[in-house]
Amino acid sequence: MNRSHLRANIIIVAGILAAAAAPGLIAADLPKAETILDKFVEVTGGKAAYAKVHSQIESGTFELPAMGIKGTMISYRAEPDLSYTEIVFPGIGKMQIGTDGKVAWTNNPMQGPHIQEGAEKTQAVLTNRFNGELHWRELYKTVETTGIEAIDGKDCYKVVLTPAEGSAVTHFYDKESGLLSKLSVIAQSPAGEIASDSYPSDYRKEGDFVVAHKLRQSAAGQEFMLTVESVKFNPEIPKDRFDLPDDIKALVNKK
Amino acid sequence: MPFRLAALVLLLAGAAPSPAQPALTPAQRQLNIDSFEMVWQTVRDKHWDPKLGGLDWQAIHDELRPKVEAAATTADARAVMSDMLARLKQTHFGIVPGDAYSEMNSSSDGDDSGPGDAGPGLDTRVIDNHVLVTSITPDSPAAAAGVKPGWEILRIRGKEIGPAIAKIRDSLSSQTTLLDLLLHSAVSERLSGEAGKTVEIQFLDGRNKKVNLKIARIRPRGQVAQLGNLPPLHFWVETQTLKPNIAYVHFNLFFEPDSLNTAFQQAIRTCGNCDGFIIDLRGNPGGIGGLATGVAGWFTDKKDQRLGTMFLRGASMKFVVFPRPETFSGPLAILTDGCSASTSEILAGGMKDLGRARVFGTHTAGAALPSLFTRLPNGDGFQYAIANYISEGGQPLEGFGLTPDQEVKLTRHQLLEGQDPVIDAAVTWIEKQKK
Repeated sequence: MNRSHLRANIIIVAGILAAAAAPGLIAADLPKAETILDKFVEVTGGKAAYAKVHSQIESGTFELPAMGIKGTMISYRAEPDLSYTEIVFPGIGKMQIGTDGKVAWTNNPMQGPHIQEGAEKTQAVLTNRFNGELHWRELYKTVETTGIEAIDGKDCYKVVLTPAEGSAVTHFYDKESGLLSKLSVIAQSPAGEIASDSYPSDYRKEGDFVVAHKLRQSAAGQEFMLTVESVKFNPEIPKDRFDLPDDIKALVNKK
Repeated sequence: MPFRLAALVLLLAGAAPSPAQPALTPAQRQLNIDSFEMVWQTVRDKHWDPKLGGLDWQAIHDELRPKVEAAATTADARAVMSDMLARLKQTHFGIVPGDAYSEMNSSSDGDDSGPGDAGPGLDTRVIDNHVLVTSITPDSPAAAAGVKPGWEILRIRGKEIGPAIAKIRDSLSSQTTLLDLLLHSAVSERLSGEAGKTVEIQFLDGRNKKVNLKIARIRPRGQVAQLGNLPPLHFWVETQTLKPNIAYVHFNLFFEPDSLNTAFQQAIRTCGNCDGFIIDLRGNPGGIGGLATGVAGWFTDKKDQRLGTMFLRGASMKFVVFPRPETFSGPLAILTDGCSASTSEILAGGMKDLGRARVFGTHTAGAALPSLFTRLPNGDGFQYAIANYISEGGQPLEGFGLTPDQEVKLTRHQLLEGQDPVIDAAVTWIEKQKK
């Protein structure tokens, strides 16, 4: 199971994401995007394995190397679109992002609580769909292979995924392994549209799945590094884990 | 979350140890060269303006690289790198000596002060070429020694301070907005030293009589705040209710988000029906940039408001304010002075531009670029700006600063009388709003 959508979610916590698009080879020479996306599911565990997973907890670290800042990260997700991620940075505090399926929100000690709306919410809903890799046909209106690009010296198929609402995302899949090597996204945030590139790596086996354990992200002139240390599939998650925090409830009631 | 601490590099850059340094080993020389290359490449690759304002950056590299290769000491190599950064003519680019970066060592200036950031417990401003005490830390050695606001400092460690002030003033362009900040740093550095050791200060007291005091130094006020590569800093925040019925929050840095926001939350809860609110940013050199919007969120219910926009290489980020669940909607006054820099200017400038606050005091430092700190291969610290910033009103703060709505200067007479004319002006304005 690849956690690319989860990773994209975490990028939003840091306030970033990116996009890119470049001409590629003639489409007729390339495999169909559908084939590439389905292959990714197969090489990371297979449809049957994905279908058996209904919730997940990931934990690890989140780092801003240029600033010497390193925090702990834990992320809870469950079907169909429940999500709660928490990153704690020494000297800053707890940064949170989540959704209870209806309200998508962020909260951090610097800017305070915030309810995501409009394009920002649309992207959050897309990002938080559990097993989004498996359900790409429901999430994206069109998918298209547009070329081949080298990522870290390896040729990758470039696949543009366009949702019914919101901006397209671009994935780069390793030609040989079928694994995702790069995601380019334009994050919709209150700060504006922010382009970001993310590079999953260090794919290793976790249970029935092959999971990326590192994700390097670059955006807005800064670099971030997510390191996954633990992945649990179908864990017990407290029922109230996805409830809205009090500050968010207060904002909802204030509207 | 870029940091905005204009004063920090200025402060630390002057804290380099002065003793002669031993000759470099080949390995140390290489580390200095590697550091030079890292600084040069970082500016080339990360500066928000790929054209670097028209500088021929490669030519600057080719000119200075032989000098860093020939540098006999790390201090010499540092000077070459500082020269390179100075060509940008922008704040928030600087090299901090490794030991100062790590230990916050201060120059002992030949006496027994020793290294350290401890002080006698007083704050100063240079006003009309006079170094005036503007506040005394309660229960500090300065308070115990009877020092009062309004006293003038004539000598520190036996040396007259006046000539140093004049030298700094004369060396700077008359157009610079950084003068107050640099003069304040120069005085603070001379007062600083190792905790427990004394500093000899000659004052001119309230009766114009010279008073010589030896005052012990104590650790800076507040809790130690540590964030990433930044050296440890001391953070404090104070809240009080001023008569008549006005909330007042004063803090020295935009740090420790939880503590700062708790202070604002409590101030608003205890003073929800107050006639007005005063945020005192005098002497505040900045900190975590995002906290400017976080503080602003306590004072507006309007959505989609922003303080300004940060321009990065190939991207821009709006400094959007998220209204808090509880907000204060009454008159808001923000106090600034020449030592208010960076995040302070972003908050004050943005709130002024939005028409949400009236600013009182004196012109700010004009040092508002968001920057990062990183360590160089030779152990020195390297601060570099990654973005430009334009306040919501369309004006850059960098190099210009913020002009208050109502300019109010401190005077020795008023300080001696126990008055704070800046707070008084804000209170008078708030009272008028009530009517």
